[in-house]
Amino acid sequence: MTLWEIKTKQTALIDGLDPTLVPAVMQRLTEMGFASGQSIQCLRRSPFKGPIVLQLGDCVYSLEQDIADRINVSMN
Amino acid sequence: MKNIILVGKPNSGKSLLFNQLTGLRQKVANFPGVTVELKSGQFGDYRLVDFPGTYSLKSLSRDEELAIEKLHEAMLSDATSLVVCNLDATRLERSLVFGLQVRDLAHKHNKGVVFSLNMIDEVQRFGHEIDTEKLSRDLGCAVYALSAKSLIGLHEFKLAIQDAAEHPEDFLPTIKADDESSVLQISRSLSKRYGLKADIVLKKQNRIDGFLLNNVLGGVMFFIIMFLLFQSIFTWASPLMDGVEMALGDMAAFVSNSLPDGIVNDFITDALFGGVGSFLVFVPQIMVLTFIIGLLEDSGYLARAALICHKPLSYFGLSGRSFIPYLSGHACAIPAIMAARTIESPRKRLITMMTIPLMSCSARLPVYALLIAVLIPDTQYLGGLLNLQGITFFILYFIGIVTALLVSVLLNKMTESDKDKADMPFILELPTYRLPHWKPLMHRVLTSGKQFIKRAGPVIFWVSVFIWVLGYFPESGELQSSYLAMIGHWIEPIFEPLGLDWRYGVAILVSFLAREVFVGALGTLFGIQGADENIAGLAANIQADGLTLGAGIGLMLFYVVALQCVATVATLKGETGSGKVAWGLFVGYGLLAYCMAWLAATFI
Repeated sequence: MTLWEIKTKQTALIDGLDPTLVPAVMQRLTEMGFASGQSIQCLRRSPFKGPIVLQLGDCVYSLEQDIADRINVSMN
Repeated sequence: MKNIILVGKPNSGKSLLFNQLTGLRQKVANFPGVTVELKSGQFGDYRLVDFPGTYSLKSLSRDEELAIEKLHEAMLSDATSLVVCNLDATRLERSLVFGLQVRDLAHKHNKGVVFSLNMIDEVQRFGHEIDTEKLSRDLGCAVYALSAKSLIGLHEFKLAIQDAAEHPEDFLPTIKADDESSVLQISRSLSKRYGLKADIVLKKQNRIDGFLLNNVLGGVMFFIIMFLLFQSIFTWASPLMDGVEMALGDMAAFVSNSLPDGIVNDFITDALFGGVGSFLVFVPQIMVLTFIIGLLEDSGYLARAALICHKPLSYFGLSGRSFIPYLSGHACAIPAIMAARTIESPRKRLITMMTIPLMSCSARLPVYALLIAVLIPDTQYLGGLLNLQGITFFILYFIGIVTALLVSVLLNKMTESDKDKADMPFILELPTYRLPHWKPLMHRVLTSGKQFIKRAGPVIFWVSVFIWVLGYFPESGELQSSYLAMIGHWIEPIFEPLGLDWRYGVAILVSFLAREVFVGALGTLFGIQGADENIAGLAANIQADGLTLGAGIGLMLFYVVALQCVATVATLKGETGSGKVAWGLFVGYGLLAYCMAWLAATFI
C-alpha cells in the first residue's frame, strides 16, 4: 500500500520510494527522512483530498496526494 | 575585512541569532546578477553574513539553488575565515543532515567550523540535557549550546567565534577516516544518542495544529485571521497616519507663514508639502502591514496557511506555496515575485509571478485610502468593530485576488501544452509554533518603511516638482491656462468615457511610473487650484470638487488591476527571463483595467 492510503492516527513503516521519482525529489525526500524502515504516522488529513500531515522522526511534514502515492509503506 | 558566514536549516532560529550577534545595524545586499538576499552585519572586526536557510546542499527550488551556489563560492573564497552552522537543538536529526553536509564541505575546503546548538532553553524546559562536549567529539567540531532568545550561552558563544575566527586552523573539522556511514545514518544515530524524543517536542505543536488545521475550525480561523489583517491596516494605522498628517500640516503652515508670499512659498506648500507630504502619510500603513505579515510568518502560521490553501489553489493551477508570495504581494510586488522562487514547480512559479501584480500592494493603499475617504461614509457597525471603509478596503483586495485566480486559470489553460515538464510536488515542513521575537520583527518593520520612502520618494519628488512646474507656468498660479492643462485637455478624450476630467487623466498618466504618485500628483493639482493654499485634507478638496460614484468606483477598479509600476515590470522581466511576458502583462492588465473602469462609470 502507499502512504496516501493510511488512515489518520495510523502508523506505518516506509518500504521505499517509487524509483521513477525525479532524482532531485527522491534525494530531498531521503534527506527529510523518508527512507526504508522508518516509522511514519499520519497526523491528519485535509478535506477534499488535500495534503496529508505526517510525523516522521522529529519533524511534521505535509505532502500532497501525487507524492504520497509514490511512497510505499506497510502496516506492522 | 574578513567574513564569518552563518548557515543553517530554515526555522532553526538562525535569523534571531544573527540579530543578536550583529545588533540592529544590518545591510541587505542583493548580489549583482542574482537576487538572493544576503544580510550582513558587523560582528567585532568581522563581517557576519547570513545565508538563506536551506534544507540540504542539493537544491530543489530556484532560491535554494542560488543560495547553495553562493555558499560554495564563499567556501572557496579566502575572505571567509569561519563557518558558523546553526542547529535546532529540539530537532537534532533534521538539522544535523544539513550540518554534516556543511561540515564535510568545510573539511574539503579547509575552513574552520563552529556549531551553535540553538534553542537549548526549550530542550532544558523538557528536562533534558545535551552533552555538548561529547557531541562535539562525535561531530569533530566545536559545539556551543545557546539560546538566541533567552540569551543563555550567547556571551560565551561570541567569545568563542571571535577566537575561532582569529585561529580558524584550530577549528578545522576532524572526520574519522574509517567512517563509511552516510550523512543520514550519522545524523540519525547522533540524534538518537543526544536529542529529545520526537513525541515530547511535537506534543504542543500537534495540539495547536489540532485546532488551527481542524477541517472546520481551521478554515474559519483562517478567514478570521485574514479579515483582521485587513481591518487592522485601517484601524491600527489610522491614529499614526493622522499624527503624520497633523505634523506635516503644522509644518506646512509654519513654513508658509514665515515666508513671504510668492513663487517660493507656493512651491514649498504645493509641490513639497502637497505632493511629497501626502505620500508620507501612508508610510505607517505599510509598516503595520509588514508587522502583521511578519508576525504570522515568525509564529509559524504561514506554513499552515499554505497547507490550508494548497488544495483550493491547485484548482486554479497554483500551489499552496503560492499563498506566501500572494500574501507578501499585498505589501510589495517586487519581493513577492522573488519569493515565488520557493515554488518548486516551474510552471506554477511562472503563473504565480504573472498574477502577483494583481495583489493590491501597499503603493495602491494611498490611492484606495484617498478614494475611499472621498466616496465611502465612515459608518460604524457592531460598536466600532467594523466600519464601512474597512469593509470596502477588504472588497477591493478581494477583487484583486479573484482577478488573479481567474487569470491563473486562463494562463494554466494556455500553457497546458508544456505540461510534460516534470512538475515538482508540494512538500512542506510545518515548523514549531513560536512567540515571535520583537527584535528582528521591529527591524523588518522599520526597513519596510525606510525602503518604501527610499524607493518611491525620489520618483515622487521629481514627479511632484515636474507637475507643479507644468501646472504653475506660464501664468504663475493659473492652473486653467497652464501647460499642464493644455496636456491634460489633449489627453482628456481617453479618460472622458471613464467620467474623469483632465486632472485625473494627468494623475493616472504619471502614476504609470509608480502608483503612489497618483495621490501626490492630485495633491499638487488640487493644491494649486485651491484658493486657500493649505493642506486641508485632499479628500475633502476632491469631495467639494465633486467626483461621481461611478467614476470613483471605476477609478478604484482601475487601480486594482492596472500594472502601474516600472519596478515591477523590470523585476518580472528579470525573474521570468522574458521581456515579452513583462510588457505583455503591462499592456494586458492596462487594457483590462480600462474596460473595468469604463463598465463601472457607465453602469453605476
